[in-house]
Amino acid sequence: MLSLAATSAFTQAKPPVNPDAQVLADFKARIDKYVEIRKKADDSAPPLKKTDDAAEIKAAQLALGERIGAARAGMKPGEIFTPEIAALFRRLIHPETKDPDTKALLNEKKDQPKPGAVPLWKVGMPYPEKEPLATMPPDVLERWPKLPADIEYRFVGKHLILRDVRANTIIDFATNVIP
Amino acid sequence: MQARRLHRFVIPLALLLSVVSAAAPQITLPNQKDSLKFAIIGDSGTGSKSQYQIAEQLISTRTPFAYEFILMMGDNLYGGSDAKDFRKKFEDPYKSLLDSGMKFYATLGNHDNPNERFYERWNMKGERFYTFKPKPGIRFFALDSNYMDPKQLDWLEKELAASGSDWKIMFFHHPIYSSGGAHGSDVQLRQQLEPMFLKHGVDVVLAGHEHFYERIKPQKGIYYFISGGAAKLREGDVNTRSELTAKSYDSGYHFMLVELGKDTMYFQTINQDGKTVDSGSLTRFSDADKKKLAGLATTQSSR
Repeated sequence: MLSLAATSAFTQAKPPVNPDAQVLADFKARIDKYVEIRKKADDSAPPLKKTDDAAEIKAAQLALGERIGAARAGMKPGEIFTPEIAALFRRLIHPETKDPDTKALLNEKKDQPKPGAVPLWKVGMPYPEKEPLATMPPDVLERWPKLPADIEYRFVGKHLILRDVRANTIIDFATNVIP
Repeated sequence: MQARRLHRFVIPLALLLSVVSAAAPQITLPNQKDSLKFAIIGDSGTGSKSQYQIAEQLISTRTPFAYEFILMMGDNLYGGSDAKDFRKKFEDPYKSLLDSGMKFYATLGNHDNPNERFYERWNMKGERFYTFKPKPGIRFFALDSNYMDPKQLDWLEKELAASGSDWKIMFFHHPIYSSGGAHGSDVQLRQQLEPMFLKHGVDVVLAGHEHFYERIKPQKGIYYFISGGAAKLREGDVNTRSELTAKSYDSGYHFMLVELGKDTMYFQTINQDGKTVDSGSLTRFSDADKKKLAGLATTQSSR
């Protein structure tokens, strides 16, 4: 009996695994994969560079979006925000929503896109340029996982999107992140 | 037929007269030879009649007051960033200024597509945040207050620490002090930025977002202005009982003219009719005073 208990204790003595760390590592891996796809698309698209021709900027933005779209053909919501990752972000935002200043910023209705204006049913869609981009609370950005250049978090009402800044597209979204 | 001809003649004439009638506003600034002169417009990109009216006033002040560049406080393009938006909401209203080689320095607002940073006429160097030094001893820092991430904060800390400039002037979209009813002070942003401003002796902070003009009473040795009414107006939005306000104007559109001397900043705020709605001068707080005020602020905030 004693011997059995000792064996069991030995089995359990493996280093403890932090489930959040695993989920975060998975999130990072998925983001890295997206960045790789974008890099390939970027290499074949007209460069988004400094110019005084506004049409060139728009053309480069659209071309990049199209190339990423083609490379991610068949993509589905949840490829980055898997149920586990989305659940983690819902938990991560929770302490922030208790801070009155953050709460006020998250509830700021005037600078939010109009309800339904941002397509949250299909990934890879362009963010509608007629709509404002909700300002991100700095303390949320400070605590959440850092993102590579030109990928950003944005809220759309209670929902969270990952946005490709240069392609102006919605990479993925997680619904009802804000309680 | 005759009526149509008359119509074709009268409308362009009326437009021409409206432009000609934009008489140059009376400049009250000292207009000193060696000072740095610049203008400020905020929330300007609507393409509306009011934007063009303010643009005309801005253009007409250039003759008596030869400002060297224009700062844009964000929301430079509302409703899209196609080539036609740039044309209608920027290139056309400020055409004569652009043709004369006028430089614009923009910061991003919440209505701007961040890819606007690649538009060369806004001199953003392809970056969401950047700094420039138009003259020895004066440095400007443009921030993206929509997305104040650690990367940007680290950059600002380094740039401020490395800046030996006498004048340190910040500009970004969201005001950290404001008496606006619709938005008000962005307290979260203040918590992030103000300690850095105090630590590195920032002198002046310029913002937009609120669709009015407000000059804030100095806060811990820093002067704050809100200039977000170059095409948008939220009439009656300033809380007239606010203890923050030194002067406000929310009954018309406006732009600002600024002149920087060695230790003095002169300013003049002008509305769409060419009327001056605020003007004055500010003296920089000395480094010793700034340190004292910063120390005091730290003590107060730790209580």
